[in-house]
Amino acid sequence: MQGIRVEGLKKCFGARTAVEGLSFEVAPGEVFGLLGPNGAGKTTTVRMLTGLLAPTAGRASLCGVELPLRSDDDGVTLRRRVGLLTEQPGLYDRLSIRENLEFFMRLNEVDEVQAWKLAHALLERFDLAGREDEPVGGFSKGMRQKLAIVRALVHSPEVVFLDEPTSGLDPQSGRVVRDAIAELAREGRTMVLCSHNLHEVERLCARVAVIKNTLRSVASLTELRREGLALDVMVEGEAAAWVKALERLPFTVGHQLDGSRLRVLLDREAQSPDVIACLVQAGARVHSAHRAARPLEEAYLDLVREAGDAS
Amino acid sequence: MSFRLSRALAVYRKDLLDLRKNRALLWSMLALPLVIVVTPLGIVWAYVRNPTDPGLKAIALYYDLTVDLTNVARFLIDKVLADWFVIYLVMPVFVPILISSHAVAGEKEKRTLEPLLASPVTPLELVVGKSLASLVPSVLICTLAFVLLCVGVDVVAWPVAKSLVLPNGMWLFGVFVIAPLFAFFGNGVAVLISARVGDSRLAQQLAGLMVLPLVGLAAGQFGGWLKAGPSYYAVIGGVVLLLDLAIIVAARRLFDRERLMTRWG
Ligand SMILES: Nc1ncnc2c1ncn2[C@@H]1O[C@H](COP(=O)(O)OP(=O)(O)OP(=O)(O)O)[C@@H](O)[C@H]1O
Ligand SMILES: [Mg+2]
Repeated sequence: MQGIRVEGLKKCFGARTAVEGLSFEVAPGEVFGLLGPNGAGKTTTVRMLTGLLAPTAGRASLCGVELPLRSDDDGVTLRRRVGLLTEQPGLYDRLSIRENLEFFMRLNEVDEVQAWKLAHALLERFDLAGREDEPVGGFSKGMRQKLAIVRALVHSPEVVFLDEPTSGLDPQSGRVVRDAIAELAREGRTMVLCSHNLHEVERLCARVAVIKNTLRSVASLTELRREGLALDVMVEGEAAAWVKALERLPFTVGHQLDGSRLRVLLDREAQSPDVIACLVQAGARVHSAHRAARPLEEAYLDLVREAGDAS
Repeated sequence: MSFRLSRALAVYRKDLLDLRKNRALLWSMLALPLVIVVTPLGIVWAYVRNPTDPGLKAIALYYDLTVDLTNVARFLIDKVLADWFVIYLVMPVFVPILISSHAVAGEKEKRTLEPLLASPVTPLELVVGKSLASLVPSVLICTLAFVLLCVGVDVVAWPVAKSLVLPNGMWLFGVFVIAPLFAFFGNGVAVLISARVGDSRLAQQLAGLMVLPLVGLAAGQFGGWLKAGPSYYAVIGGVVLLLDLAIIVAARRLFDRERLMTRWG
């Protein structure tokens, strides 16, 4: 089993650059998150990695196949080894579950008996068993999404790309799908999950790439959380009076005010003593100071905020 | 580019299955053959009902001054059938247009194209599979319509003809050689257009314009400007053969996933 290696991937549509400067690695059997706001280029990235769009620049290798694709093989090898859950389920409404899945089994030229074993297990798990012969046009949004996930897996791909897998699912189905993803990863499949939902990524992935048209960060979630370090300082009187002192520090820190509580956002842990010393020097009476991990969300929002509109 | 027949056939089978379940499309596909079979029967019947009507002589003389005046009804029956073939040709153009605009633009409309292109199927296999799924039923429908037309005409014309009027050499050549060329053309135009516009109704309308030249030819024939016959249809067939070759050249631009994926208008 091989993982994924991406180097300097870039995609332009005409004059617009959808995404650029992407470099990251995904280990085999890892669940990796592609996290970014709407329009960040997650879908574009996944389309490049599944051979649907040719990268404008950069290289990648996954399941032993190199991108950009060599023209002679037309990506057939790649497509056999990767599975893709597209943003929209894209099912044939007039066809039944069985007919929809059979079609993709044939396109992948897999052993249908084996493939059906896997498919039945997944259908069972996703609560779709027993409805194999109904036309899928009558299914609910969540059922369609789950069926699309099954379809992405029928050929037992080594690497699976899931573009917002739990969108449109109720909490219970969302959990069933997340559990299934976790289990597939335990079987050694490499999974890449796109999402703008931090909590989903937090539950499933150990590492994420935060993108917003460029790569903002590749980090483990623990690292991301640490990036979200803050110091909560209680001072006597109005904290606002001491904010000016902070601006004289040689490193930049952010801050949030709440009456007598001052939350100072740090880059590194080692900055805490300097911050306290600075406040004391300016005459503040510090009652308590303790480190608070900022919620992951803030660290994430900081990363995707434009350089120009930083607060 | 790699080509696996099994994958093209998988597409073909899926599309046929989808077509079989698409009631609305099936009905609209059947309406046209019905009109094309029943209308000439009505005209032939009008000639047979009163074969000695002096009005018929006048019509026959308008088309041909050397006509055998003892049997103008037979002359007119043969004439309407020779002329009607150009209308019959609307069917092999239009039925594949109905099917393929749905089959190709439909994949975009329903967002099924992306999962499809992410599978190992190549664009060439896709186009071949879809074209087969449109051409096979079209050719079947056209053949069936021709059989019904032959039986109908022979039954209705029997009192005057006393022998089989259809099939004749010209119609056989037309139905089995020229009509498939037209079907190839209709399908090709529909595939090309719907791969670009991604909206099956618009694709159908644009491709549907392709039948207009046939209507023009028919008008010329009924007006007496054009004389339909074997060599006339052979020339039309030759022109369509050239158009078919042009379509094959144009279709090579389709065989690119990115182009198929990102073209929305
Ligand atoms: N086919 C295309 N033609 C032109 N521009 C495109 C095309 N596809 C994507 N883009 C542009 O690329 C950028 C990234 O889009 P993309 O769909 O990859 O974002 P995303 O991260 O998946 O967003 P979302 O969370 O909304 O799904 C957008 O600015 C989009 O307009
Ligand atoms: Mg997206």
